[in-house]
Amino acid sequence: MKITEDWWTVIVGFALIVLAVIGLNVPWKIFSY
Amino acid sequence: MASQPASQPGSKTAGLIVGLILIIVLSLLTNYLSNHPSVHKALEFPLWAAAFGLLANVILTATGTRQFIMPAVKTEFFLKIGLVLLGCSVNITQIGVVGAKGIVQALIMVTCVFLFTWWLGGVFKLDDKMRAVMATAISICGVSAAIAAAGSVLAGKEELTYVTALVIFTALPLMVIMPYLAKAMALPVQVAGGWFGGNIDTTAAVVGAGTIHSEAAMKVASIVKMSQNALIGVVAFILAIYFATVVEKKNGRAGERPSARVIWDRFPKFVIGFVLASALVSLASSYGWTWLGKSVLASINNMRQWLFTLAFVCIGLEISFAEFKRLGFAPTVVYIIATIFNTLLALGVAYLVFGGILFPAG
Repeated sequence: MKITEDWWTVIVGFALIVLAVIGLNVPWKIFSY
Repeated sequence: MASQPASQPGSKTAGLIVGLILIIVLSLLTNYLSNHPSVHKALEFPLWAAAFGLLANVILTATGTRQFIMPAVKTEFFLKIGLVLLGCSVNITQIGVVGAKGIVQALIMVTCVFLFTWWLGGVFKLDDKMRAVMATAISICGVSAAIAAAGSVLAGKEELTYVTALVIFTALPLMVIMPYLAKAMALPVQVAGGWFGGNIDTTAAVVGAGTIHSEAAMKVASIVKMSQNALIGVVAFILAIYFATVVEKKNGRAGERPSARVIWDRFPKFVIGFVLASALVSLASSYGWTWLGKSVLASINNMRQWLFTLAFVCIGLEISFAEFKRLGFAPTVVYIIATIFNTLLALGVAYLVFGGILFPAG
């Protein structure tokens, strides 16, 4: 099965959630609203 | 949208890298200004982001370098990742309640707006394929719906380019005006969210309008828009059947029988990610999983704002002034009238569905 761009949004989204869980999210901390 | 010759793979990669750097820098600038004590109250961050995108767009267009960075202008990609992350901030019960109302609203809106635009296109003697692509774009979700409809009715590049340009051009003004109108009319948050989600064509501008209004309106608007997006496959399937069995037959051609598989193929997969993320966080909250506690959710929230900012910068960058000059009179008039109809109808339907008339409010 070809991974479409739509599926990539899900994969990247969950990869970012994993990064936040394991604490590797320093670059994002500079961004706050 | 490309009006220039296709670029070489090497220059595409270079454009992607340079474009990404530019979008990130503009996002950082947006963040800096949004948090700056003297200016942060002047504009909400989606407006800063779109304004910087638009300014960069003007400069790049004037210097003839806009096409070079276009590989990095991925509005929907950034936005959909952000929406998957938004799932972590929305309880699964809220998705159920708001989503069910959103589907009711979407069914009313998609049917009425599609049929109105289709009829109006006929009055202005637009080609059937143009009518189908435009009606789908206005009634469902802008560019991705237009692409799905174009595939179903085998529309050419011209119809798709026209409609895409119109969608992008109307999204930005609606994103800016609607939140302020909603505040001026003192609409309840749920009604405001339902209105943005039911009316604005592109999902990015829906999220932008919601964000400008309030966090709560943004969540309702996003869920309503996703409910509408979920119908895209069904509409694509019905259109394909209609064109194969009625329009092509009328023109003396035998249309290929469409497969129901298109319903799944066109289903927006990020909606699945959004629901899964929400289910995960709702479970974590019920079972007290500390690894997905408040600080982690705060980080995810920050990432989501990051991705939304990238998408809002791209909204400003993706407007093509060259395409605007090429737009025909009749399609533009049909699109504008249909958008006004959509705006008024969406307000009424949002009141019915989210204002406590058809269903309990809240």
